[in-house]
Amino acid sequence: MPNTSNAIPLRQFGRHNVKISAIGFGGHHLGDAPDESTAVRLVRQAVDGGITFFDNCWEYHRGKAEAWMGAGLKGVRDRVFLMTKVCTHGRDKALALRMLDESLHRLRTDHLDLWQIHGVGFENDPDLFIRKNGAAEALEQAKKEGKVRFVGFTGHKDPSIHLKMLATGFPFDSVQMPLNAFDASFHSFEQQVLPELNRRGIAALGMKPICGHGAPVQKGVLTGEEALRYAMSLPVTTTITGIDKPEVLQQALKVAQGFEPLQPSAMQSLRDRCRQYAADGRFELYKLSLQFDNPEARLAHGFPLDMQQVEVREMLKMTDNSGHPFPPTK
Amino acid sequence: MLGTAGLAAQGQSGAEIPKRPLGRTGLEVSALGIGGYHLGSVDSDTEATQIVNEALDAGVNFFDNAWEYHSGLSEERLGRALKGKRDRAVVMTKVCTHGRDKNVAMRQLEESLTRLQTDHLDVWQIHEVIYENDPELIFAPNGAAEALLEAKQQGKVRFLGFTGHKDPSIHLKMLSHSFPFDTVQMPLNCLDATFRSFETKVLPEVNRRGIAALGMKSLGGSGELVREGAVVVTMGLRYAMSLPVAVTISGIDSIEVLHQNLEVARGFQPLSAAEMQSIRAACRLDASDGHLELFKTTKKYDGDLGREMHGFPSSAELPV
Repeated sequence: MPNTSNAIPLRQFGRHNVKISAIGFGGHHLGDAPDESTAVRLVRQAVDGGITFFDNCWEYHRGKAEAWMGAGLKGVRDRVFLMTKVCTHGRDKALALRMLDESLHRLRTDHLDLWQIHGVGFENDPDLFIRKNGAAEALEQAKKEGKVRFVGFTGHKDPSIHLKMLATGFPFDSVQMPLNAFDASFHSFEQQVLPELNRRGIAALGMKPICGHGAPVQKGVLTGEEALRYAMSLPVTTTITGIDKPEVLQQALKVAQGFEPLQPSAMQSLRDRCRQYAADGRFELYKLSLQFDNPEARLAHGFPLDMQQVEVREMLKMTDNSGHPFPPTK
Repeated sequence: MLGTAGLAAQGQSGAEIPKRPLGRTGLEVSALGIGGYHLGSVDSDTEATQIVNEALDAGVNFFDNAWEYHSGLSEERLGRALKGKRDRAVVMTKVCTHGRDKNVAMRQLEESLTRLQTDHLDVWQIHEVIYENDPELIFAPNGAAEALLEAKQQGKVRFLGFTGHKDPSIHLKMLSHSFPFDTVQMPLNCLDATFRSFETKVLPEVNRRGIAALGMKSLGGSGELVREGAVVVTMGLRYAMSLPVAVTISGIDSIEVLHQNLEVARGFQPLSAAEMQSIRAACRLDASDGHLELFKTTKKYDGDLGREMHGFPSSAELPV
């Protein structure tokens, strides 16, 4: 049935009777906005444009991304479905619950619609998540206390780690993963994880539709619009896209308003076009390097830091030390 | 008492470094080999020469190198040090096409031979097979695999192989092509045993086919295993050397390190199965997220030339 309205389509959130917009507002890029007032304006314009799903994370820009989103959502909080993520990276329940309270405070709300485990990307993360006194217990408790409605996890590294998380048997409501025309043929979440989520009635949340920072768009392999259309045409609840300036928001709204999925043949031709670049993972550095692994994850697991990373620079500034986890864990 | 005698032989200064067959090549190589990369990191040419000569005199005969190490310095240093002693050594170097064609490979071979001051290599390997499409590119028409065969036919190299440090599945993809590899090099250490394991996935296959296994990164590539306290140097090296490999290639960047490793290699006797198991078990937690095997989990050990050929950011832009 052709989509005759100009509204952004709403889709069902997994097995729950809740609907969210087919495109989601990525929180990390919001922290890249030049200032708070620009960020607030972007959030307002997105809400007015019909975006209801807002993504964030405790560690994005060391809290700035949550704080700016909280400011932008003031007065319109009840019109959106708000998600943020917790950054235990294997550490315990108590730390997770402390992070939750900080997130709620920054986001100026008494509850989250969705709380997800952030950055499940190392092979032992599923074991550490489900262990006694691990983050899984924090998700359960927060849900029971009414601080969060739904729970999930996210990661960008390897489909097998996502499957290991699902194999823990924890009742996740949502799972977030990179989905784009390159992923389709390389260490593929589309092939290996997405069908499993659909089978289980877990809401699939796509991210990195243009591969994070848009490298394939800059290299001219495909346009931003094509990339976004590909991701949104997959069987997902929403596609989270990073928004850091008005032009980017306008482009996203243009694609999403009145969106109709691409035909299978168009999907196939995009996959074919991207296949040769997908073959060594050059545009999916989040799968092959630490580039998208934030300091909380690196430190908790003992991986080296990267001084170019915005979170690392913010962390060093805030804690005035040489890079210890914050809050301190020992 | 026999046990005590065995222990005494371990590290005994007078004892010889064991030699093992290099697969089905008919060559015999020392259980310890000298890594070429670190030879380029040594402070001076003189010390590099001293390392090579002392190693030779101690009974080490396997020398590793690569066309791209330190822009040729590693090969030049080895060539100079082996002058007049070439026939006592099994010289291996690697070709760095990173997906490019046969002609590039053949040009690099000539350069390697010149720098190494020799008219032939004992082993020529394809370097850094670490990107998932490398096997396809290597076996494409006019690819590096053809260069290997041609060089062998011309008598410029005796035996052929490949190396990589990333993922056992990429090694297995290489082996799925019916190509007569004589050697396969891979990271083997006590953490690898339980994490994306070459020891469990590749080594048995290589042994089954009679291909010589060359171990590397016995201590994590830059001693990460030791620095982070996962294992002590001698135990880490002994673990790697006790596996069913022809040689364990060890990076040696000073005379002191050479002496320490020779001490382990002299009169070397493999650890027992029970000792191996207990080391693996002790390392399991450290192994479980790969933070000490950065060559598998990050871009840190991936060379700039390979990155460039595959369209990845350089090591300055993306250190890990």
